Amino acid sequence: MSTRPLVAARPETIAEVTFDATLEERIVDLLRRYPTRRAAILPVLWLCQERYGWISPGVIRAVAQRLGESPAFVEGVVSFYTMYYTRPPARYVLQVCTTLSCAYCGGKELVEHLKGRLGISFGEKTPDGEFQLIGVQCLGACGGAPVVQINDDYFEQLDIKRLDGLLDELTGRR
Amino acid sequence: MPKLTIDGRTVEVAAGTNLIEAARAAGIEIPFFCYHPYLTVVGQCRICMVEIQGQPRLAVACATPAAEGMVVKSETSERAREAREAVMEFLLANHPLDCPVCDQAGECLLQDHSMEEQRATFTTHMTETRRTFPGYESRLIGPHVIQNQNRCIHCSRCIRFTQEISETSALTYKSRSNSTFIDTFDGKPFEDPMSGCAADVCPVGALTVRGFRFRKRAWKLRSTPSICPGCSIGCNIFIEHHERVVYRFSPRENPGVNATWLCDYGRFLAESLNEQAYLHPQRRVSGQLARATWGEVFPALSTELKAARSLRVVASANLSNEELYLARELFGRHLKGEIVVPVFPGEPRRMKNGKREWLTSTDAHPNSHGARRLGMATVDGEGLVRFLRGAAGTTVILDPSAHPSLASEEALQALGRGPLVAFARAKHPVADLAGWLLPTPSLASNEGTFVSSTGSVQRFAPAFAPPGTVHRTATGAMSPTCPTIASPWGPPGEARPLWVVLSSLAREMGVATLDLSSPADIFALMARTEESFAGVDWEELGVQREQRSYRERQHVG
Ligand code: SF4
Ligand code: FES
Ligand code: FES
Repeated sequence: MSTRPLVAARPETIAEVTFDATLEERIVDLLRRYPTRRAAILPVLWLCQERYGWISPGVIRAVAQRLGESPAFVEGVVSFYTMYYTRPPARYVLQVCTTLSCAYCGGKELVEHLKGRLGISFGEKTPDGEFQLIGVQCLGACGGAPVVQINDDYFEQLDIKRLDGLLDELTGRR
Repeated sequence: MPKLTIDGRTVEVAAGTNLIEAARAAGIEIPFFCYHPYLTVVGQCRICMVEIQGQPRLAVACATPAAEGMVVKSETSERAREAREAVMEFLLANHPLDCPVCDQAGECLLQDHSMEEQRATFTTHMTETRRTFPGYESRLIGPHVIQNQNRCIHCSRCIRFTQEISETSALTYKSRSNSTFIDTFDGKPFEDPMSGCAADVCPVGALTVRGFRFRKRAWKLRSTPSICPGCSIGCNIFIEHHERVVYRFSPRENPGVNATWLCDYGRFLAESLNEQAYLHPQRRVSGQLARATWGEVFPALSTELKAARSLRVVASANLSNEELYLARELFGRHLKGEIVVPVFPGEPRRMKNGKREWLTSTDAHPNSHGARRLGMATVDGEGLVRFLRGAAGTTVILDPSAHPSLASEEALQALGRGPLVAFARAKHPVADLAGWLLPTPSLASNEGTFVSSTGSVQRFAPAFAPPGTVHRTATGAMSPTCPTIASPWGPPGEARPLWVVLSSLAREMGVATLDLSSPADIFALMARTEESFAGVDWEELGVQREQRSYRERQHVG
């Protein structure tokens, strides 16, 4: 399994953020593709999440500064979308589809099982920072129901056994 | 100039006027929540729906410009009424409906609309419990503003205010859909030099001004048009008062000066108007101040002034044009005294007018420009002390708050050398030196005109007779910043506006031309004799009626 763990910067390290040359270069490149700086907020935030693992207030301030917006406005944008992490995420974020098709095909049971096995419920992280569980709406892969997304990868047609196998593998990697 | 018909009434409005304003011009009120005349139109609350003949769908009046020949139906349209009812159902589904304990009640657009237009009838299809924001029911969002997110109707007026007017962009929506709430960046305090206006524009009780909350029900307040005394910009205000106590200032619309805004500094000067440290005329007899009557004051004082070896008068840029004029004529021209107007720069202040241009203050006085227009000599703090140190003789201080250096060691020392006549309201050390101490009331009990830094002559009206008795704070005063508070009971006090005292002195001295009985008369004389005021007409200086505050404030929400 090729899923790579997320690496979240420690909060102290991104309390104040200055973009380095590589990041700045990518931002400049992005800005060329948008009519206004405001329009580039989402992709610039993505770049930051990729780099730092999550969007801290420090990152928000830096993005706002770079794009000529107020920090409050950028934070408003960040908080609108659930896919920006505003807290350091676990190494593996499990997004379990809770919508109809998946629910019918065993998704409900998967959720119960995951909650039991990890000892956490939706929105929580295991104490060791390994796993985080998020309930999401349709992942757009109903054909492969039930679906769980781990970090950036989809795992389809899961049952409890396969899911356990995946988790064992991820745990064993440590 | 498109001409259109709204609910059967025809009006002609300037091109680009939206239907809400066009209807207002025709005397018809189209309800609105998110629209504000000085903010960008966003058309997001949908309460202003109207039917336009020839258009299949209803339109939002705030975002529809009037067009030639348009036939609009608002109150007369069944479809528009139904649409508005549906909007109200959505808004009220999650609204706490806690009007009895909400401080906005009486000046709440949501309440007004539900009571008037909907006649308080209310149906709902909701079976869920209300959405709430635990922990956000009474949150101090900034030093002056308290947030109750449960009441918010998501009109975004407050956000647009900080983005477009105060330019701090401090407020934002967070989260989305049903959980959307108003917050600042990272939950930091809402620091904004005009933060009170965010509460003003909030149509409901989601943002309220901390200092005013629960002090007085909005419908008890009377609103008297006045001018903010805080700086030379001269923002138009209402002094909102009840039983001789000032409770707050609220902005009064003037596109040329402050649109519908006020800075926090000016807004919170309101309570300082309640201070009345000196209640009756006093005269120093063998070292002690003793109570005197005005009847005694005039003859004795005019004899004393006429006999003075030399006369130095400290006027003030806080006085009205009428008072400055009388002082200049009486003390300067007739008694041959020397007269100066001290000007204190104060903190720089700025204000946005209706065209969204910043106006900046030149000094901390409401009428320094009036003093200059009357050709009076202005001095700074040092110049003032030098003036006071000049040849010994009688000194008259018309307003101890004219300049902070009047309370300085040097100034007091210089003042101690000769006879001193002081007019005063708030506690001040010159009172301890004065041979005559004459009480003047606050702006709230005076009438006259100021000249703003933009050069316009602006009138202020008297709100109430000077308070006769004052309590100490402990007995229900407004706040720790206001040491005393007027009593609503008992006869009015003896403080007299300066113009009254000066014209009485003029009568006593036999200067008949200055013996005038109202600021209007003084102004008329000025308009006749002063080139700089020539052609200005008192009556044309604006409507000076007292208003029911909540009605008047509707417009600014
Ligand atoms: S807090 Fe008030 S002004 Fe701001 S969005 Fe809510 S209702 Fe509108
Ligand atoms: S319902 Fe689960 S992916 Fe669509
Ligand atoms: S006032 Fe027109 S949509 Fe809100």
